[in-house]
Amino acid sequence: MIVRFLLAALAAGLIAGLAMTPAQYIKIVPLILQAEAYEGGGSAAVSTHDHGAGTTEVAGHDHGAATPAGHAHANTDAAAPASAAPEAHSHDHGDGESVLGLGRLGNTVLANLAAGGGFGLMLAAAALLLDIRFGKGKQAVGRGLLLGAAGWFAVQLAPAWGLPPELPGFPEIDLQARQTWWMITVALSAAGIWLVALRPEWIAKSLGVVLIVAPHVYGAPQPADISSAVPAFLAAEYTVASLATTLGFWLLLGGLLGHFLSRVDEGASV
Amino acid sequence: MAANTVSSSLATRTSARATAGLIALLLGAFLVFGVGLANSAALHDAAHDTRHSYGFPCH
Repeated sequence: MIVRFLLAALAAGLIAGLAMTPAQYIKIVPLILQAEAYEGGGSAAVSTHDHGAGTTEVAGHDHGAATPAGHAHANTDAAAPASAAPEAHSHDHGDGESVLGLGRLGNTVLANLAAGGGFGLMLAAAALLLDIRFGKGKQAVGRGLLLGAAGWFAVQLAPAWGLPPELPGFPEIDLQARQTWWMITVALSAAGIWLVALRPEWIAKSLGVVLIVAPHVYGAPQPADISSAVPAFLAAEYTVASLATTLGFWLLLGGLLGHFLSRVDEGASV
Repeated sequence: MAANTVSSSLATRTSARATAGLIALLLGAFLVFGVGLANSAALHDAAHDTRHSYGFPCH
């Protein structure tokens, strides 16, 4: 029976994880690729902008299309670092060599399966340890969808208030500080949404709200310099794409999990 | 007797749920950590697009 619970969780996670790859290729991956053209080389362009403020070359770079032919040469020079960036910057994004010799797509498929399985197991763990029952049939799917929505809230939306989903080339903040804040925020938001949604006592619900708000009152790690070479339009599009795509993932995961776990429960009662 | 059987099977099912829940928690945390947070260059490169998609802190 233990194994059947685990298999149910894993199956839901793997199916949702498998669906994530094509979903990412609609919007997320194209935006990441676009942003990578600004990454690395972007910092050179930003420093030119900062230190050479007001010079004609910078103006030529910014308004390239409108400049007269005489400025064309300076314009290409300024633009060059940005277009060469993907080759030049220090770390690889899975294009070439990789652990298993798969390409970028293969790596992403595998990583999505692992992430799906991991999130599926953790969501199932929450359901099993908190003794959330799914009922039967459509009711199980409906409750699973709500559980998935709660997972999306805790893992995607709540941390995104402080650390919006990043594109490559975003302003740099200490990675460890961000990861620590992210983990604490996910844990507190998960506990908070549970208290708010499933505990009847008003004091528990209030405590839940406090837990959800606390990491934001404390504040996420902020960059010293918020300027970035990545265009704001891409970043805004990316945030929406990331939250929307992961909402699809969590709803699919939750719905499947509700269905599968209710089947395990039914099988056990016979 | 019947009541006894019912309560013991209920206890078994409750403990099965708890055990499965704990195993799922550990296994799931291990996978999520590996994909999203582990500070290894090989894992970072392989999971790069996935990390960005899920909004994990990256780079």
